Amino acid sequence: MSRQNTRLDQKKVNTELLTLAYGSFVTQILHDQNLNIDEVNKNLERIGYNIGLRLIEDFLSRTAAPRCLEMRETADRIQQAFRIYLNIQPAITNWSSSSDEFSLIFENNPLIDFVELPPEFSNLRYSAIICGCIRGALEMVQQEVQCFLVQDQLKSDSCTEIRVKFIRRLEDAIPAGED
Amino acid sequence: MDKFEALKISTKPKNVLDKSLSKGKGEVSHAIFALLFSEMVQYCQSKSYTVPELQAKLHEMGADVGNRVVDLYFVRDRNSKRETKIIQMLLFIKTTLWKNLFGKEAEKLEQSHDDERTYYIIEKEPLVNAYISVPKDKSSLNCASFTAGIVESVLTLCGFNCKVSSHWHKGTTYMVKFEDHVINRDKQMEEK
Amino acid sequence: MINNLYIFDKYGNLLYYDEWNRPKKGEIKQEEEQKLMYGMLISIKSFVNRLSPTDTREGFLYYKTNKYALHYLETPSGLKFVMNTDVAAMNVREFLQQLYGKVWVEYVVRDPLWEPGTEVTSSLFKSKLDDFVKQSPIFGIRNI
Repeated sequence: MSRQNTRLDQKKVNTELLTLAYGSFVTQILHDQNLNIDEVNKNLERIGYNIGLRLIEDFLSRTAAPRCLEMRETADRIQQAFRIYLNIQPAITNWSSSSDEFSLIFENNPLIDFVELPPEFSNLRYSAIICGCIRGALEMVQQEVQCFLVQDQLKSDSCTEIRVKFIRRLEDAIPAGED
Repeated sequence: MDKFEALKISTKPKNVLDKSLSKGKGEVSHAIFALLFSEMVQYCQSKSYTVPELQAKLHEMGADVGNRVVDLYFVRDRNSKRETKIIQMLLFIKTTLWKNLFGKEAEKLEQSHDDERTYYIIEKEPLVNAYISVPKDKSSLNCASFTAGIVESVLTLCGFNCKVSSHWHKGTTYMVKFEDHVINRDKQMEEK
Repeated sequence: MINNLYIFDKYGNLLYYDEWNRPKKGEIKQEEEQKLMYGMLISIKSFVNRLSPTDTREGFLYYKTNKYALHYLETPSGLKFVMNTDVAAMNVREFLQQLYGKVWVEYVVRDPLWEPGTEVTSSLFKSKLDDFVKQSPIFGIRNI
C-alpha cells in the first residue's frame, strides 16, 4: 500500500508553536537541573531519543518504507523525514571514505528561532534533541548510530551540522527458547 | 514562577522589529508537535506525584510561552496597539492568539452568570488533548493546563491580572478569573 | 468477518489484544495462547525464510485453514499485527497497514500516558480501533 503524496504531513501546526514550546521545555529543564549544562544536554538528547522511538512509527506508516540496507539509503530517509516533520531540506554531505558516516547540514533550524545563548550557557547543546531523535528512530529499525552536533548556529556557526555515524546493525530480538 | 532572569531575557525574541514581519507563517508537521508535547507531559509526570502538580508544571511551561508571544503578536498583528478593555482583550485571545498558535479560533467566549469576574473560553478539541483519553472522572489530567498557562501569562502581562485554569467541560473550558482591580478599572473606563 | 487482533512489539510483548467474532473461546488461558501465538509466528517466519528459493524481504504474509485465515503484518520497527478473519476476507494486510497509520500511530504513539513496551489501556484507542474495525468491509462479510 504505497500512499501517494507522502512528502508532507497533511496536518500542520505553526512552526512558532513548536519553537516556543521547545523553548519553554528547555527553560524548565535548565531550571530543574539548576543550570548544570551537562545534565541538561543529556536530558535533551534523551528526550529526542524518546521522540525518535515513537516518530519512527509515524514515518514508517506514512512512507511504507522497508528497512534500509545501506547508509546512503538511511541518509535519504532521514532527509525525507526532515522534510515531512520540520519542513526543511538538509543537505547530505561530507561522506566518509567508507560510506558509513555523513553530515546533515541546514541553515533554517526551526528550533532556534528567537533563541540567543548567553555566555554562561555556551556549552548548551540546544539542538541535541534532533540528534537524539535520529538515534532513537534508527535504533528501532535495528541500526545503532552515533549522532552529534558539529556546527551550531547558536555558537556563531553559519549553519547547523549534524554528524551521523554508523556503529552496527542490531540483531532482531528472539524470544527465549526459540531458534 | 521564580525562573532565573538570565535565561528569560536571552530567549526572548530578539528585537522583533528586526525580523521581517512575514515570520510566523511557517508550518511543521502536526505529528512532531504532538510527540514533543507528549514528551513534555511525560517529563512533568516524572517530576510530579499528583495530577494537580503535573498540571501546574504544564501551566508554568505555558506561561513561559505566553511571555514570549505577547510582544510578538501585538507587534505583528495589531501594529503594537494594546487592548485596554477586558472584552476586547479576551476577544484578542480567542481569535488572534488562538489562530496564531493553533491555526483556528477558540469556539466560544462567555461570561459567568453568577460572577462578573469570571469568563469562560471554550475549545471543543484542543490540540494538546487530542491523543489522550477523555477521562471518566473529570479530575484527571487535562493537558490544556499548558494553554491555560499561555492565556494567563498573556493576560497578566497586558495588565489584566487573573488566574486561568482548564476543565473538562464542553471539550475543554478555560476559566478566566480576573482580580477585582481589573474589573473595577474596566467599570471606571465605561463610566468615562 | 474479523475474529481477533494481536499486536506485539519487537521484543514479543503483547501490547494489545481484542476480539470481535469469536464464538468458540480458546481452550487455553489467554496469556498462554498469546505466548504460543508469538512463538509460532517466530518459528513460521524463520522457517518460511529458510525454505524460500530466493531471498525474501517480507517473508511470511498469511496462512489459511478451512475455517479461518491468519494475516500478518510486521513493520520495519518490529511491530507485529496479527489478525484472524474468515477465509474469504480480502486485502487484510492493507487493512492492517491502514490501522497502523490511522489508529496505532495516532492514538497510541502520540499518547503521553502510554509507555513503549507496555500494554495499551487507552480507552480512546480502544474505541477508535473498534470504529475502524467495524467500518471495514472485512468486518461484515461472512463466508458461507
